[in-house]
Amino acid sequence: MLFFFGKLLRTITKNAWQSLAPFVAFIYAYQGELVTKIVIGAIAFFVISISISVLNYWFFRFQLNNDSILIRQGVIKKKQLDIKFDRIQGINTQQNVVFRYFGLVTISFDTAGSSGSEGNLPAVTRAFAESLRSRIGSESESVEATAAESEADALLRLDWRDMVRIGLADRRALVVFALIGPLFERLGDDADRVVANYIERAADDAFQFGVAGGVVIVTAAVIGLILLFALISLGAAFLRYHNFELFLDGSTLRSNGGLLTRHEVSMHLSKIQTLRLEQGIVMRWLGRYRMSARQARSSQKQGKSKNFSVPVITADAANHLREILLAPEGDSLMQIPTSERFRQISPYYMRSRILFVGLLPAIAATLIFWQAFGVASLGVLLWLPAIILFSYQSWRRSGYLLSAEGLVRRSGLIGYRSVALLYRKVQRVSVTQSRYQRRKNLASLRVYMASGSVRIPYIEHATAKQLRDYILYKVESSQLAWH
Amino acid sequence: MFQNPEIALHTLPDMDDLDWQQIHPTYARRLQLERALFVSAIAIATLAATLILDIPVDKAIMFWIPLIVFAIPLLVWPLVSVPRRGYVVRDKDIVFKSGVIWRSVTAVPFNRVQHVETSNTPLDRKFGVANLQIFTAGGSGGDLRISGLAADTAEQLRVYVLEKVGVSIENH
Repeated sequence: MLFFFGKLLRTITKNAWQSLAPFVAFIYAYQGELVTKIVIGAIAFFVISISISVLNYWFFRFQLNNDSILIRQGVIKKKQLDIKFDRIQGINTQQNVVFRYFGLVTISFDTAGSSGSEGNLPAVTRAFAESLRSRIGSESESVEATAAESEADALLRLDWRDMVRIGLADRRALVVFALIGPLFERLGDDADRVVANYIERAADDAFQFGVAGGVVIVTAAVIGLILLFALISLGAAFLRYHNFELFLDGSTLRSNGGLLTRHEVSMHLSKIQTLRLEQGIVMRWLGRYRMSARQARSSQKQGKSKNFSVPVITADAANHLREILLAPEGDSLMQIPTSERFRQISPYYMRSRILFVGLLPAIAATLIFWQAFGVASLGVLLWLPAIILFSYQSWRRSGYLLSAEGLVRRSGLIGYRSVALLYRKVQRVSVTQSRYQRRKNLASLRVYMASGSVRIPYIEHATAKQLRDYILYKVESSQLAWH
Repeated sequence: MFQNPEIALHTLPDMDDLDWQQIHPTYARRLQLERALFVSAIAIATLAATLILDIPVDKAIMFWIPLIVFAIPLLVWPLVSVPRRGYVVRDKDIVFKSGVIWRSVTAVPFNRVQHVETSNTPLDRKFGVANLQIFTAGGSGGDLRISGLAADTAEQLRVYVLEKVGVSIENH
């Protein structure tokens, strides 16, 4: 059976620019009125871009076989992609405004392999996406696919208040703010000069203009900018997560949300390698967390591992969700960082950090700068208290929690992060000891997962060894697949 | 029938008295030769530079002292580090230890191995050694690599590990 649908609108802007370059040059050389130039240019743009997308559409073919999907595309450079169903970890769909009008979606496949050359099926019908999803789902699970199909209850829904929370906690807003910061100072300088000017003139003209006026202007500008950023990140939150809903279909987790383009993401529960719960400083004020489930990442490209994330969640909901996602073993893997059940790592953890990150660099820098700056170079030593503070803070927030089936590692500096994993999905373990740790009978344990590694530093050597042997026992006696 | 017997932690196999296998003793020589070649390449380049640029001896010493200071530990180190490396093949996993100052012990269960690879450079072949690399999923921080095995041992291990991997997959 051969289907073919096109990607019409999407490619218009994508390829047209490059092919237009010679034409632009021609128009530029053409002697004539500006208006004629623009009209000719616009017509040419449409003709070329439409013909390109028609060609792309015509040459885009895909074919469903018994156990794989074959995609052929490209006008001049032909590309052929063969994706095996059992390699597919999840099917995600996206629906932009135009597609929504026509009832079409774009499918993208999550494969265990590379993240760059993954297949996309633009503009297929929603029903087709569903049938493909159930078909691929049935490859990995033979039963329970049809029963829970449409009647799945939402595990989680986000409303507009959550959008506000996401917007407030958006770290990108802070980054933009930091980038614009220096510009601000310039603005401040200018404002100062203006104010100074006014004051001079006020003195000259005996005309009263308070310094307060200038301060008010600057403050208003700063507040206005902060409000603008808040609005932008709020808008972004609405765009991406509006009407966010989380479902469980049999054993496939599914979320959808988005204002204009609707994103639908799915992940099979058995693909989850680690579960993260994160809380930045803003989320802490709001009493919320961010949760994400990580899948295996490819070994060829050191790409980011794939995530399934819930942008904002309460502690109770997070506990409930963890029990479902890591079922049946995840019950006791408490991830809420304030839990009493976390064990502390050894305080000797601070000593090596202070020594190697704080003291030695500070002394070295002082010695190097002594010649040039003299006593002023002692200022470098201020680095030391900062590092001591950081080390203390990160020691205090470090912790781990062991259960019979898995462990949770807690860490953080300003916020908190806790990562939960199941022993049976571990790929390999290592126990490392430095000279200093040997003297104190301490060791660091590193657990390698398919999604990255988790390290528990500075625990008792005996504990580390016992945990390693236990993890190996769990892995080697496990009859379940890890992926 | 599902069973879930309780496990007493002290009955689990530990690694305290394993019979560690040494890697091939000539591997230290091979590392030394490689490093000696590297150091002499730099020494020749330095010599050539001082001769061509006509740098006086008292200034050229400033280049030679750090070179010698770095070269000596570089050349001696393999004699210390190579005997500290060891591996054990057990029924269900392979364990590798290494390190002098930072000592680490890494274990890879056979039922998590993706693939196995042996490789050797011309220099390795001259000393009759080979490297065994065991890959697991995720691939963070470099997979388990045991270098300096005797060439036939490496090949035997590769076949053995693959066999074990095959068995563990069939059991699933």
